[in-house]
Amino acid sequence: MSILELNNVHTFYGNIHALKGITINVNEGEIVTLIGSNGAGKTTTLRTIQGLLKPREGSIKLKGEEISKIPAHEVVKRGVSQSPEGRLTFPRMTVKENLEMGAFQRSDKEGIAADMEKVFGLFPRLKERISQRAGTMSGGEQQMLAMGRALMANPKVLLLDEPSMGLAPILVDLIFDIIRELHRQKTTILLVEQNARLALGVADRGYVLETGEIVLKGDAKDLLTSPEVKAAYLGERGH
Amino acid sequence: MINAKKTLLHNTEAIAIVGMGVVALVTGGYNTIICAVLAGFLIGLTAERKTGSIARAAVVGLIASVITAICGYIYNTYVIKLPEVDNQAPDQIVNYPLFVAVVVGTLVAALVAAIQNIPVEKRRKQGIMIFMLACALLFPFFDQCPTLAWNQFGIGSAIDPTVGCTTQKTLIWVNAAIVTIIFAIQAMGLNIVAGYAGLLDLGYVAFFAIGAYTIGLLNSNHLVDQGVMSADNIFLKYKIMFWIAIWVCAAMAAFFGLMLGAPTLPLRGDYLAIVTLGFGEIIPVAAKNLEVVRIFEPISLFLRQLAAPVGQSLDRIDAYGFFIKNTLCIFGCGPAGLNVTNGTKGISPIFAPSIAGYTFKVGEYVPWYLLALLIMAVSAFFIWRIRDSRIGRAWVSMREDELAANAMGVDLVRTKLLAFIIGAMFSGFAGGFYGSYVSFIEPGSFAFDISVIVLAMVILGGSGNIVGVLVGAFLIKIVDLVVLEKIKQLLNGLIQHFLIVGADNPGLGAFIQRFLDATSFKVLILGLILVVMMKVRPEGLIPAATAKRQA
Repeated sequence: MSILELNNVHTFYGNIHALKGITINVNEGEIVTLIGSNGAGKTTTLRTIQGLLKPREGSIKLKGEEISKIPAHEVVKRGVSQSPEGRLTFPRMTVKENLEMGAFQRSDKEGIAADMEKVFGLFPRLKERISQRAGTMSGGEQQMLAMGRALMANPKVLLLDEPSMGLAPILVDLIFDIIRELHRQKTTILLVEQNARLALGVADRGYVLETGEIVLKGDAKDLLTSPEVKAAYLGERGH
Repeated sequence: MINAKKTLLHNTEAIAIVGMGVVALVTGGYNTIICAVLAGFLIGLTAERKTGSIARAAVVGLIASVITAICGYIYNTYVIKLPEVDNQAPDQIVNYPLFVAVVVGTLVAALVAAIQNIPVEKRRKQGIMIFMLACALLFPFFDQCPTLAWNQFGIGSAIDPTVGCTTQKTLIWVNAAIVTIIFAIQAMGLNIVAGYAGLLDLGYVAFFAIGAYTIGLLNSNHLVDQGVMSADNIFLKYKIMFWIAIWVCAAMAAFFGLMLGAPTLPLRGDYLAIVTLGFGEIIPVAAKNLEVVRIFEPISLFLRQLAAPVGQSLDRIDAYGFFIKNTLCIFGCGPAGLNVTNGTKGISPIFAPSIAGYTFKVGEYVPWYLLALLIMAVSAFFIWRIRDSRIGRAWVSMREDELAANAMGVDLVRTKLLAFIIGAMFSGFAGGFYGSYVSFIEPGSFAFDISVIVLAMVILGGSGNIVGVLVGAFLIKIVDLVVLEKIKQLLNGLIQHFLIVGADNPGLGAFIQRFLDATSFKVLILGLILVVMMKVRPEGLIPAATAKRQA
């Protein structure tokens, strides 16, 4: 069943037409990935879903409910949270305070405590650093914190924006192991990545975005072997 | 001193002995008793709760008291020579407080050690906090003329029948402390706006002025004289107006904060700074000009204006009798209009608060000081609690990263607006107290430099941290009230000793004296402090993180 549906979404930065009619759907429990080069509109898509940018046209539906018209802080309450590009942790807050900020829109104390334990289960490193300030942690730890913070909202759909950006390969592997673990736990994820091979490796389905338009979509396995994707994003010459 | 057991003295005991000794050394006289009591108090508070600890506290208290007394003796004998100043007191009477100090200090140490019941792990922290509170409470009695302070409770002569004070010595320190506290409350409020929420407000004085004028209008005879308010309304009649008006001040400031913030807060930082700067200028100008207020029904007024010959002033209302008869006057319909703020002449006197039959008086500083201290404590507690609440978290997260905060579900406009309103509220609160304290307000008291001083306090102390902001407020006010004055005296003295230009050319001498008047460089020096702080330690003297509680 489709949990998140984007239908013909157009987003502008001033006069710049950034998204030119994006149509995406994400089913419950699956990982869908958006791949594409710099400036293709991947981050714009996630920000539009989150409500940080307003689409000029088109509809965004969460479980059949229109969310493109409601403000960003309300969208979190409906069940969409994201680990933003560049992580954007709160540098002078501790790890615990950062995680609590993730649950800002929730009021169920027990649920929050349980989710925090769940996050610590996924990222034991965060538990070790619980009272450390986020700005003093390494990039990998901050990425874990950003993902943990997004999970604290107990989202119906988790948006991950470039979780591998700027990380050492061993940490990238660790982050993607955790994404697989989240997949096993039936978390619905919309994953934006530049690293197409990795992203298609964990995802069920994928969309290829080019200058604000979807140019290709399909099962992740098919996309991995498709000549266009190979040529453009996997650095292999197609024949 | 990590392991306290192995050292001779705990570090709090060392603080008590050294700190109070130094204070006794520079104040002497009856202050020695207070020093000894405070030293004994701290020693008793932080004493370990074991067998023999009371005896130990007594011994350490005795040591501290004796050292304090010796320091007091040095002051009395070598520094000020009290008998000369006061003319009447023979030596032995001047020094008898020293013996009292020894006895009382020891007793207090032993007593407090015996009856205090603070859990061991919290003893050091809470002990120091209670000690600071005691210091603040006893501060007004720490003067060069303690009898004046005691006299305000009518017991000065009982304590000290012989040592009088010369007239020029008044409680100037206490007055300075009250002014400092008023600024400290403002700084705590601005800390919410600038420190927590990261909004630059350059017109913070506006809310201070609104608070001061609110109490000026409500708690004086001004509106009664204008016929707006009845003189025998119950609040004025029973002298309880202050206690109600001070809340109205906060509410009015909050209301204006809302009116200013709602349209401007969606603006980016720099524009907000300009708008608030303008607002800070508008309020004093409005106060200056709201002397003759007369409001007509607008449409026929507009018609009248159209019909008036070009170049004719609207003030000559009589010339257009037809329109006056046909224009509905809404407000201030008397011949002089309604005098709202009394213009540059200001509003005076503003009645002092009154509690349980006692009315505060101008010049009786101690009750004012205690009231100011209470207001500051309540404000600090409230702000400290709100910092740890949901809205406090939202402020800090927004300052850290606006986009991420929004993505986490923080409603940016509402959160900014709340910061603005609550910040304005504290300024209004401080303004209300200020108006009552000085009993006279005029537009000139609310100039731009107050906004700058308060902002400098926040930035110097460490924005986002209550303790830091309080430290910043006290440092800057001490520079303002004490250090600059001393520098001025020093420079003048140097001129008179080493420069002879003034002798044969009085005009040049006067010019140089004025040029070297450090008090007129106040804003320049504050600006320098801000620039140096931004360069050297942008997070302030006591940054927010060090004071943050561990999770």
